[in-house]
Amino acid sequence: MYPFWEGLFIHSTLFVAVVSAFHVLASHITVAAVWFNFYLEYRAVKENREELYAYLKRSALGLLVFAYVFGAMAGVGIWQTTTAANPRGISTLIHNFVLYWGSEWYMFLIDVIGIIVYYYTFGRVSKETHLRLALILALGGTGTLSIIVGILSFKLTPGMWFETGQSLHGFFNTTFWPQIALRMAFMLPITASWALFVATGLPRGFYERERIIRYAARFGLIGLAAGVLIWLLWFEPSLPVHAKAILPSRAIPQPTFPIIYFGLIATLAGLLFAYFMPHKQHRLMAIGAMVVIFGAIFGAERTREVLRKPDIIFGYMSSNQLLFNDIPVRNIESEEARLSKTGMLGNLPFVPKVDNAIGIASEKTFGYADPEVIAGRMLAIQQCGSCHSVSKQTSIEVASVALDLRSLAKLLKTRNLTTAERIDNYIKSIGAFPYMHPFVGSDAERRALARYLEVFVQSTYPETTNQARLMR
Amino acid sequence: MTVGEMLKMMRDPLGAPFYPPALQVLLVVTWVLHIFFVTAALGTSLFSIVGFVWRRRDELALKLARIAARLTPNMLGLGIVTGIAPLLFVQTIYDPLWYAANTLTGFWSVSFIFVVMGGYSLAYVFYLKGSKDGRLLFTAVLSFILLFVAGWVMHVLHSVSIRPEHWLKWYTPDGIVDTRGVTFHAYNIPRLVFLLPLQSGLSLSAIMMFVSWYLSKRGEDVPFLLWTGELGRKLGLLISPLYALFGLIWALTEGPEFGVTLTIALPLVLLGLLLTVYFARLRQPTTKGPLSLAIWLGSLLVVAIVREVIRVASLARYGYSVADYPYQFDWGSILVFSVTTVVGVMVVLYLSLVLYQANASKEGTISPRVEKLGRIATGMLGAWFGFFFLVGLYSVLFLR
Repeated sequence: MYPFWEGLFIHSTLFVAVVSAFHVLASHITVAAVWFNFYLEYRAVKENREELYAYLKRSALGLLVFAYVFGAMAGVGIWQTTTAANPRGISTLIHNFVLYWGSEWYMFLIDVIGIIVYYYTFGRVSKETHLRLALILALGGTGTLSIIVGILSFKLTPGMWFETGQSLHGFFNTTFWPQIALRMAFMLPITASWALFVATGLPRGFYERERIIRYAARFGLIGLAAGVLIWLLWFEPSLPVHAKAILPSRAIPQPTFPIIYFGLIATLAGLLFAYFMPHKQHRLMAIGAMVVIFGAIFGAERTREVLRKPDIIFGYMSSNQLLFNDIPVRNIESEEARLSKTGMLGNLPFVPKVDNAIGIASEKTFGYADPEVIAGRMLAIQQCGSCHSVSKQTSIEVASVALDLRSLAKLLKTRNLTTAERIDNYIKSIGAFPYMHPFVGSDAERRALARYLEVFVQSTYPETTNQARLMR
Repeated sequence: MTVGEMLKMMRDPLGAPFYPPALQVLLVVTWVLHIFFVTAALGTSLFSIVGFVWRRRDELALKLARIAARLTPNMLGLGIVTGIAPLLFVQTIYDPLWYAANTLTGFWSVSFIFVVMGGYSLAYVFYLKGSKDGRLLFTAVLSFILLFVAGWVMHVLHSVSIRPEHWLKWYTPDGIVDTRGVTFHAYNIPRLVFLLPLQSGLSLSAIMMFVSWYLSKRGEDVPFLLWTGELGRKLGLLISPLYALFGLIWALTEGPEFGVTLTIALPLVLLGLLLTVYFARLRQPTTKGPLSLAIWLGSLLVVAIVREVIRVASLARYGYSVADYPYQFDWGSILVFSVTTVVGVMVVLYLSLVLYQANASKEGTISPRVEKLGRIATGMLGAWFGFFFLVGLYSVLFLR
């Protein structure tokens, strides 16, 4: 439906993944850190513990700079990257939930203005007023999280929205409640690493340093235990059957799970170490903890995104950005049903018919001027490009090693699919895989796609040309 | 497929959840706030550099440069957060335009984030580490350049978006699809000069006068305040005629393409001239800080409307109109948004008043009325969670 941006140097979805994981880290730090700050400030006011303000001011400045510069920008970054990588997916969310996002915007506004006011009024307003600012920040942060989880979880379990078309059904869906509880729990250990980072910046002999570290470790341990229990007893059982089938499949590449498990165990060990030996903590350890947690978040968020494969919106929109179901209550008809009859070329705005007279040998088509290859490339971009690299432009070389993480050429070579005929047969069968979507289009278009993929794999791996000849 | 058919097909089949022209109004109004903060960030950033480079021996200029360095990251933060609102509305009613522009210019659309992150963090580095004595000035310069590049990218995205007749040609040059998104397909330099550098200068001018008024309330050094206010006025007087001139050039270069030359030229030239007259006749700018700021925000609203008129005229050529955009009232989201608006406005008002009063006097006293507002606003924010939870329960248990 839209022009397609495959990415440059790395695939467009990897931009989304990196920016999203970073945003999750920063935003979860923010939400729980402001609760932790509120807790400490409450104690500072009630117990008249002036020393705690040294930590609070450092933490507030750190949040102002780190969370609100990088965190907020990464939030905007998710808009930009998802818009460029999969505009129709984000469009569905926007058209369903724009006013929820508008509500989240108010919470975000409270966050951003709140942290500025909070930081710049230390010592300038009464302690009670400042404590209220801390509470507002904590509530505002929790508000943003609560709203965004409804939109995120909709992608996996739209539920009754299919029947009623009402946004409330889509928003308060079956995985909304366990996911919000899960995030609330897991953000505590994330924040413990932040508190550790800030507290270890205080002088070693500082009166409250070790006590703050122990508070933070306790927060983190409680959150970690709660998070694991919520995952096992509530979130995982609430997943739809399809998602449970995807979990053990090769749609989730290794070593995703080992990274997540390692992250959990390392976090547990680090928090216990901080709790029992607060005097031995060092800033480098806090940075290390954040790196480990970033890795675990990357793995976990990626898994969450893959669970609904091959759909962008489960049961509604495929990764190829086409609708494949009717929703009568919203007057929506399947686009795939129509396009399967009419064919793709010339029936979508940016999948035009190929002019047979073109005859241009472009490097984008590996020197082939064949209209079938040109058409096949167009179809590869539209049907496969959202998840796979369908050209060489999204593969960079680092120290002579090609980072072609999503290369379709590599995948076809690995599966010994190097001729158009074999690839065509493979395409016919992919609809049976739980994590793949069937080809949409006419038989001639499917053959054109296979032809382009043959050219792609053979141009990328010249050695396959001879193998292909032998197989013929 | 004609351009009109293409645009209609590209609209999201779900439609909008509310009356689309109302969303169009919100789009225009929220853009005013966004462009004010963004141009204020650019203006204060440039002034902090100028102050430390050319006016090193001028204590007044240095003092103002330090204030400017402190304002830059905060203005930028507010520019980012206020930018999200128009981003939401543009996607809802102009989805074909926004998504096509972002995919055709994908590489720059994504790079925008890293560019702004760089500019934002460097602005903080300069404020925290360099603004006291002018060390690390390169961070301020680099920050300014990056922020300007970000503005350029947004300008290109908008320029691409209002030219749907070229999209397919740009996407398939010579019939072969180009998925790299690296080309700056469309731009208009006079428009960019009008919207970014000139408006940055005028935002800076308004801020100087406002700051001089605000600081006068807590008895700051009078010569500094008078100098700051007057500098703001002179800056406004210098830039306003250029503003009118570039408004005219913008109209002459972009207007004919969409048949709106006079529609652009008339309000923008008039605006520039009226601002010139205002600044020329302004006496005691320090006492007129709030008025000058209000006038400038009003001027930005005029620009926002002109900008919207150009988009509407461009799309009208192909029969695309916001008034015809399909919609279906979605009561659930309207309810959530309305309640959150009431709560959000109250809390933001309270926060703004605390910031204002905390720095308006040397003691930082918050008035009892604001404290009372704070208690109410915080209570409302807490109650919002109760509302949210109850709506959730209702949706799960009773809504059919």
